[in-house]
Amino acid sequence: MRNKLIKNLNQVLLVLGIIVLALLVGAIIISFSGNSPLEAYFSMFNGAFGSKQRFMEVLVRMIPLVIMALGTSVAFKAQLWNIGGDGQFIMGSILAMAVSLYSGLPAIIGVPVSIIAAMIGGGLWSGLAGWLKVKFNANEVITTLMLNYIAIYFLSFLVYGPMMDAQGSKMPQTALVPEAYRLPLFESGNRLHMGIFMALILVVIMIFFWKSTVGFKIDLLGQGEKVTTYSGVSVKKMIVLTMVISGLLSGIAGWTEVYGVQYRLLEGITSGYGSIAIVIALMGGLNPIGILISGFFFSALLVGGATMQRMTDIPYSIVDIVQGLIITFIIARTAINFKEIKNKIARRMGHVK
Amino acid sequence: MEEFKNNEYAVEMYKIVKEFNDVKAIDNVDFLVKNGSIHGLLGENGAGKTTLMNVLYGLYHPEQGEVIIKGIKSDINSPTKAISLGIGMIHQHFMLARPFSVVENVMLGRKSRKGILLDTKETAEDLVALAEKYKMKIDPYAKIWQLSVGEQQRVEILTALYQGAEILILDEPTAVLTPQEVDGLFDTLREMKNDGKAIILITHKLEEIVCIVDEVTVLRDGVMIGNVEVDCNTTKSELTKMMVGRDVLFNFEKSLNKTGEKKLEIKNIKVLNDKNFLALDGFSLDIYAGEIIGLAGVDGNGQKELCEALTGIRKVESGEVKLDTINIENKPPLFSIQKGIAHIPEDRHITGLALDWSLKKNLILKTFKDNSKFGLIDEKKIQERWENARIAYDIKANSGDDSARDLSGGNQQKVILARELENKPAIVIANQPTRGLDIGATEYVRQKILDAKGDGAGVLLVSADLEEILQLSDRIAVIYGGELMGILPSGSDVKKIGELMMGKKLEVKQNA
Ligand SMILES: Nc1ncnc2c1ncn2[C@@H]1O[C@H](COP(=O)(O)OP(=O)(O)OP(=O)(O)O)[C@@H](O)[C@H]1O
Ligand SMILES: [Mg+2]
Repeated sequence: MRNKLIKNLNQVLLVLGIIVLALLVGAIIISFSGNSPLEAYFSMFNGAFGSKQRFMEVLVRMIPLVIMALGTSVAFKAQLWNIGGDGQFIMGSILAMAVSLYSGLPAIIGVPVSIIAAMIGGGLWSGLAGWLKVKFNANEVITTLMLNYIAIYFLSFLVYGPMMDAQGSKMPQTALVPEAYRLPLFESGNRLHMGIFMALILVVIMIFFWKSTVGFKIDLLGQGEKVTTYSGVSVKKMIVLTMVISGLLSGIAGWTEVYGVQYRLLEGITSGYGSIAIVIALMGGLNPIGILISGFFFSALLVGGATMQRMTDIPYSIVDIVQGLIITFIIARTAINFKEIKNKIARRMGHVK
Repeated sequence: MEEFKNNEYAVEMYKIVKEFNDVKAIDNVDFLVKNGSIHGLLGENGAGKTTLMNVLYGLYHPEQGEVIIKGIKSDINSPTKAISLGIGMIHQHFMLARPFSVVENVMLGRKSRKGILLDTKETAEDLVALAEKYKMKIDPYAKIWQLSVGEQQRVEILTALYQGAEILILDEPTAVLTPQEVDGLFDTLREMKNDGKAIILITHKLEEIVCIVDEVTVLRDGVMIGNVEVDCNTTKSELTKMMVGRDVLFNFEKSLNKTGEKKLEIKNIKVLNDKNFLALDGFSLDIYAGEIIGLAGVDGNGQKELCEALTGIRKVESGEVKLDTINIENKPPLFSIQKGIAHIPEDRHITGLALDWSLKKNLILKTFKDNSKFGLIDEKKIQERWENARIAYDIKANSGDDSARDLSGGNQQKVILARELENKPAIVIANQPTRGLDIGATEYVRQKILDAKGDGAGVLLVSADLEEILQLSDRIAVIYGGELMGILPSGSDVKKIGELMMGKKLEVKQNA
């Protein structure tokens, strides 16, 4: 019990450590660029937490990021490198949108149906990559990436064509979601919506998910195909199931964005959340609480950086630098974690660095 | 005094302490090896043998202690350093790059003599000469994956010699070898000893080594118990007593052959191996309830594929496997698990265990559904199971939350056995169940297998260790080249079995 506590504490400290280290190294780079790091960080911090409005904006950003990162973590745990979060997000939102625009269901039925539609859209899109892997041994990194492009172009096709808002301004976007369907806001004038509870509930669900028998099997798959087969678990089924679960979470992320923030489909709706979600999942050690913490940090970084850019002359690229550093440190950490591999190479080669 | 030491000892380790998570794996151990000698390092599973040698090889840094190599105090902080001091180590698990050839493996991590060009040919010639000198046979251009385990081991030894090893550590080298290969290895080691090299030999097979080692050091629970000179007259029981602290008797009550009905019927099966060659070519065998059928054979003659085919892990191309009256060939592994077919796989690291997982979770790999409540893994229950297994199988670990990776080889095997034998299996398929186990554990495992048989299980015991086969089996089947060479009664002559193992078919008509 105590051991476990220490392990979890270590995990949290590691996340914080990475953040601090990235900010410190970032500070050095910023001062080389002729800006004051203190000023930059201060205005970033101020941009994220300086007012209630800004803080709420951080949470708005956090909702899809955390949900998507949870989805990513499911696949990564099984050593399936699903990098197609964006595509799954898009397909989820398209299907959900189709329900609210065309089904004519009353909100009380239509809303749950649209959530399910989002899960199906994201889950099938990702499951397709899983199926291709099982059937044709196609590398999921490549298929999920290609499916991203298909989803992005499919969305463009829809918003320029069949789903384009007929009454509207002829912009590439769909009509608005009927008001009754939308996620309620906390207070008018602010964008923070009830989706935040969904994100938190999903974090809790995922904590239990990893203690469930399904989570057990996914984790087992990450330990190797041989031991998985030996344990009586079908590798093929698990690959598809894992990808489906991973994708359906990204689909839900798409749903919150459409029903809570945008109220319609438009091009570029994912804003590249997928790649940030990957970083969040890794930084959080694929652990739900870790993902919540790192998701919060990243949202603050993005929102704070955007405000900073609006309010000062400090370039937004600072955000990219910090983000890049974090990725570097995560990779470094993983490398250090693979002590066993290092030992093996050392034994073989007679080198230890 | 100092001078004298210089001449006599190749390795001097004094007061070594090595801790893992505040637990002392090595506690104040002195270990001395003379030049031109073969030194045995003995001890039960988890006694600290591998750990002590990893310290010597620079893989672990001791908390305390002093290491002197050839009279010079040395701080061995890496294997590079160890190699530069003339220390070579052959690990329990080989570390060869499989797609490469023998000579390429030797050249890995070494500078070429021809600058940026590879000196493959020269190295190959050197290798052949070196191999000849130490009585080894090797084809320098063969790819590693084509080699048998014994040949791979030779490559490891050659690599170490090529790197200039004067002190060679071998961690359980004989566990994976056939009796003939063991003889060959020992010839090589004698040659090296005559050359003045110092050899450290870790093993659990005492009868094998008394004639070859000059001296042994015994470890128990990380403490040095004793250091004695040994010759062919030393008895196994003297050493065992030092290791275990009590007498171990290999006298099993072999219950009379009260075999029940036919449990498992293997009919004329063909199975492919990983390289898509026929590993089993029309193999047939019946296993009866309440019997142990020993399957003798040199490693790599289809044993592994047979075990995997019987448990649904490997596809059966043609033929039939029947459990009672049900056909089980090409059924998913879960099916055979539910039908009570226990499987102790040969490869414990990749197949038998989830290495990064806790021991607790490893115990329920196949029964996680029964150990869950409302779809959630029942932590309390698996903690209990762990406590029971730890006591019943004497598993040495700090806690059930340790990862399987951190256990000594023998203790890892005990975890697998605890999992497989716990639920009164109907059939037990045991592939090399005691490989790498110490005497106490071996005795225990063999007793467990006999117990399973006593409970009515049909047991297929695959082993390269003839002594084990003879001791436990009611019938002895011999496999060679994927075919059944014949079935002999228990108590058959070793020579006879040996002949079949080399591919001589039993003449059924003449014997009948
Ligand atoms: N990396 C590690 N982390 C934690 N504990 C370890 C580690 N390596 C070894 N141990 C522990 O140290 C003890 C000694 O292990 P070691 O592998 O040296 O035993 P051994 O004598 O080689 O046993 P075997 O005969 O089974 O190979 C064991 O209790 C083991 O669990
Ligand atoms: Mg060992």
